[in-house]
Amino acid sequence: MSIYVLHGLRPWLIQRVSAVYLAMFVVYIGVVLAFAKDVTFQKWHEWLFHPFNTIACGLFVIALLFHAWIGMRDVVLDYVHNTFVRMIAFSLIIVVLTGSGLWAARILLLTVAI
Amino acid sequence: MKFRIYRYNPDTDAKPYVQEYELTDIEPGMMLLAALLQIKDTQDESLSFRRSCGEGVCGSDGMNINGINGLACITPLSDLKEPVDVRPLPGLPVIRDLIVDMDQFYQNYRDIKPYLIVNDPMPEVELPQTPEQRERLDGLYECILCACCSTQCPSFWWNPDKYLGPAALLQASRFIEDSRDQATEERLAHLEGPFKLFRCHTIMNCVQVCPKGLNPTKAINDIKKMMVKRSL
Repeated sequence: MSIYVLHGLRPWLIQRVSAVYLAMFVVYIGVVLAFAKDVTFQKWHEWLFHPFNTIACGLFVIALLFHAWIGMRDVVLDYVHNTFVRMIAFSLIIVVLTGSGLWAARILLLTVAI
Repeated sequence: MKFRIYRYNPDTDAKPYVQEYELTDIEPGMMLLAALLQIKDTQDESLSFRRSCGEGVCGSDGMNINGINGLACITPLSDLKEPVDVRPLPGLPVIRDLIVDMDQFYQNYRDIKPYLIVNDPMPEVELPQTPEQRERLDGLYECILCACCSTQCPSFWWNPDKYLGPAALLQASRFIEDSRDQATEERLAHLEGPFKLFRCHTIMNCVQVCPKGLNPTKAINDIKKMMVKRSL
């Protein structure tokens, strides 16, 4: 992902495409939650076990990670001018985002495995 | 009418300061430039600012007026709240009072190669355009390089040496759109990268302040759209 630091058009495009997916997913999840009654672990598990929802959530995590990376990258490029500090900031963002991604992957995979 | 004007003379002042002036002889329809000239003539001849044509054509007297960049010569005093705060264009080094160092601004303008690049042998008379091709330059060629837009742009404030700014990018669009120019690919390739073009976050301060009513944000988005079309 860090290679995107060097580009302009590609991250810009990914940011827009991921934003569209995120917006659609938020609407979908909002509708699902609005019509959900007596939410239990069992019901949540059944819902997430459905292939459509597993994949939709997986794509959501991927889109969110890319979107967050590009957004944070933009903030650093705008405001952090010292190369060393910038490098540390990029590294921190990548570590946090990769960790969050792996955590989300673990939850999704475990849900499907149970 | 009260004025609060930014003053700084690097030869004598350790720090910039704000000086107050008051004018009683305000005529209807008077512009800010006339007021500044009156202050200079009658109260303080050391007050320094650039001006030339006095009618919004040359773009010399760009300044920050009550927080918003504009040309003093076409800003009516009747539109301004008192006291009128007059400061130099933000984001550029101050040379003296309201005069800023425009080097960085012009360097960014030069960076986009603001001239037609034609590789074919030049025709003997002219490079003709259809009326439609000529129309595509409307809203782009009218820029007078007053720097009001670029110096009101936060992205330009943070990275003036890397982000080209709305004025230079409007001109980049002007030559990319020109049917006679043959360097479109090179121009687009030159603007790729995280800084030159893509620091624009569609803040649109440029559109708000342009004294000629131009839309640099649209020009920048048109360049992005063209890049997407060519890359997909």
